[in-house]
Amino acid sequence: MSIRKLFRLIPSFALAALLAACGGSKPPAEEPKAPPAPARPIGAAITIQAPLGLPAVPAPAENPATAETIALGRRLYYDKALSIDNTVACASCHDPKFGFTDGKQFSEGVKGQKGDRNAPTVFNAAYATVQFWDGRAPSLEKQAEGPVANPIEMGHTLEGVEKKLSADPSYKAEFEKAYGPGPITYEKVEKAIASFERTVISGNSPFDKFMYGGDQKALSPAAQRGLTIFRDAKKGNCAVCHTIEEKSALFTDNKFHNIGVGVDTKGELTDLGRFKVTKAEADRGAFRTPSLRNIALTGPYMHNGSLKTLKEVVDFYVGGGSSNPQLDKEIKSLDHLTKKERADLEEFLKALTGEIPANVGPPEAR
Amino acid sequence: MKRYSAAVAALWLAACASEKKTETPAEKPAPAPASVSGKVVFEGKPPMMPVLKMSEEAACVRLHKAPVRSEEVVVNEGGTLANVFVWVKSGLEGKTFEPAKDSVTIDQRGCTFRPHVIGIRAGQTLVVVNSDPVSHNIHPMPKENREWNQGQAPQTPNLERQFARPEIMIPVKCNVHSWMRSYIGVVDHPYFAVTGEQGAFELKGLPPGEYTVAAWHEKYGTKEQKVTLAPAASQSLDFTFQERGNQP
Ligand code: HEC
Ligand code: HEC
Repeated sequence: MSIRKLFRLIPSFALAALLAACGGSKPPAEEPKAPPAPARPIGAAITIQAPLGLPAVPAPAENPATAETIALGRRLYYDKALSIDNTVACASCHDPKFGFTDGKQFSEGVKGQKGDRNAPTVFNAAYATVQFWDGRAPSLEKQAEGPVANPIEMGHTLEGVEKKLSADPSYKAEFEKAYGPGPITYEKVEKAIASFERTVISGNSPFDKFMYGGDQKALSPAAQRGLTIFRDAKKGNCAVCHTIEEKSALFTDNKFHNIGVGVDTKGELTDLGRFKVTKAEADRGAFRTPSLRNIALTGPYMHNGSLKTLKEVVDFYVGGGSSNPQLDKEIKSLDHLTKKERADLEEFLKALTGEIPANVGPPEAR
Repeated sequence: MKRYSAAVAALWLAACASEKKTETPAEKPAPAPASVSGKVVFEGKPPMMPVLKMSEEAACVRLHKAPVRSEEVVVNEGGTLANVFVWVKSGLEGKTFEPAKDSVTIDQRGCTFRPHVIGIRAGQTLVVVNSDPVSHNIHPMPKENREWNQGQAPQTPNLERQFARPEIMIPVKCNVHSWMRSYIGVVDHPYFAVTGEQGAFELKGLPPGEYTVAAWHEKYGTKEQKVTLAPAASQSLDFTFQERGNQP
């Protein structure tokens, strides 16, 4: 007998009683208290203008960017007060001077401690559907909790930061301007930082002017040939993962791939990457495809900063990465590329350096 | 009767046990080891080797004073042949040997593999070095062993790999530089050699017995000879490879 037939046989009042019983014996009054209402910016929501080559900047409904939250986020981003000993700011590892990275293989956090992953750029992080190399944070907001509480990055606690900022009257005023009256909570901190990060957008590169702006001269002939190689599945085959769309290009599919980085001297994967989050075999050694925008500014490269130059990156792909059981099927030796084609590909990568928006550097001293 | 048979059994067991004991090499002195040595002779006109297409990477060209030629055929001054892998092909079946304590090194240097031909034991560690200012990607292409390749950027740590099974010969290429070639011979015993500038080889410390000794060359193929080694013998054995293309 099908479930539907069974339901038809039971009188509806009986069904209602049955459903009520299923709901559990707890009357609604006994339910745990609802969490405090989410903090909401009080100012007028503003639309962040996307430059040529990039789609509209996404923002979650519960955290529309306002002039006040962006300004507050910018101040927080550059403030070393977020670290336990006032030595490290977000900007220490994501510094505009190095394309919003730190230019090091591994970042240095509080007390000179080193992590084991390379700091990615904050440029265009707004477009990533998940954050971190392994995608363990679902949003920019959540991401901003990671480094503060990480003992080797900023070494603080979220409550500690709330307390510290609450003791500063100028912060209190700025938080109230952004969110209205109420205590400073880390939720407000992370929302403000995320809104600031959504303004750290970089496009309008020579590639964008050529591809989307109709400027045939924006790319050198070598870079144009490089673009063809980049997109041609039989040549570079780069665009299967570093995607280029009809109207815009993120240069990432926002997916996870094992391209054979981080295979150690004995042939074993040192960092399991996405596997640590999903525990799926196929995700061993897989990392989120990084965007390639501003790539010339953000070396060294890869999740472990193991490649120092773009030539080393191109040679890495020409070699077909390093073999391991989970190597992505799209990664194959490209030894058919000639010397000139390899150089063209490198030239193309250098043409992805975009414009840096105004108002993303350190705020003026107040 | 019962007691008698038990005693016999005990005696028999004791005898057996002691007999087994005397069989172990520790008790019975092993026969004095023998050796085979000789040279690999080249006959004919040495073929002209093409220049490697190193121009594909400027940084590689800069590492050399003159254009580098292929090492496919290297004939020594004395008319002997270098880069020949000589090994005991049969006669050691069923014997086991102390595992190798040292490792074998292959160096990516001057955008070539050094040395060009390598012998290694199954399970022995192969150390892969990149001495060059450019990235390499070593790629052995075995049939009997697991295939792998690994990128090595300049100034990165040496790799350590093993080949589990014997295999004659494993061609090795670099996925970044098409002209780079080397060959690795993997055997499950310690009796092998690669000829060098003298074209000579020596296989020392062999237990007396009958063997097939083989010599492999990447262009001229494999030749075999049978030898019978008496205890403490030093047998000499030469191989000859001929260039058929330009015989008079
Ligand atoms: C000590 C250096 C350090 C500090 C300080 C630091 N970060 Fe990071 N950041 C990193 C590293 C390393 C990663 C990559 C870690 C990983 O993926 O596991 C990262 C990842 C990120 C990402 C993800 C980018 C992407 O493409 O996935 C964002 C966004 C980010 N950081 C923003 C911030 C913000 C905001 C702060 C301050 C609250 C901050 N970081 C503080 C080193 C640092
Ligand atoms: C199978 C998907 C895939 C393909 C194909 C691919 N990439 Fe990548 N790329 C990735 C992933 C994933 C990473 C990060 C890997 C890691 O760190 O472990 C990456 C990293 C990079 C980086 C370093 C980025 C950084 O910020 O460190 C560059 C540059 C790059 N790729 C360029 C290319 C080029 C050029 C090609 C074509 C020859 C190419 N990629 C083909 C997925 C791909």
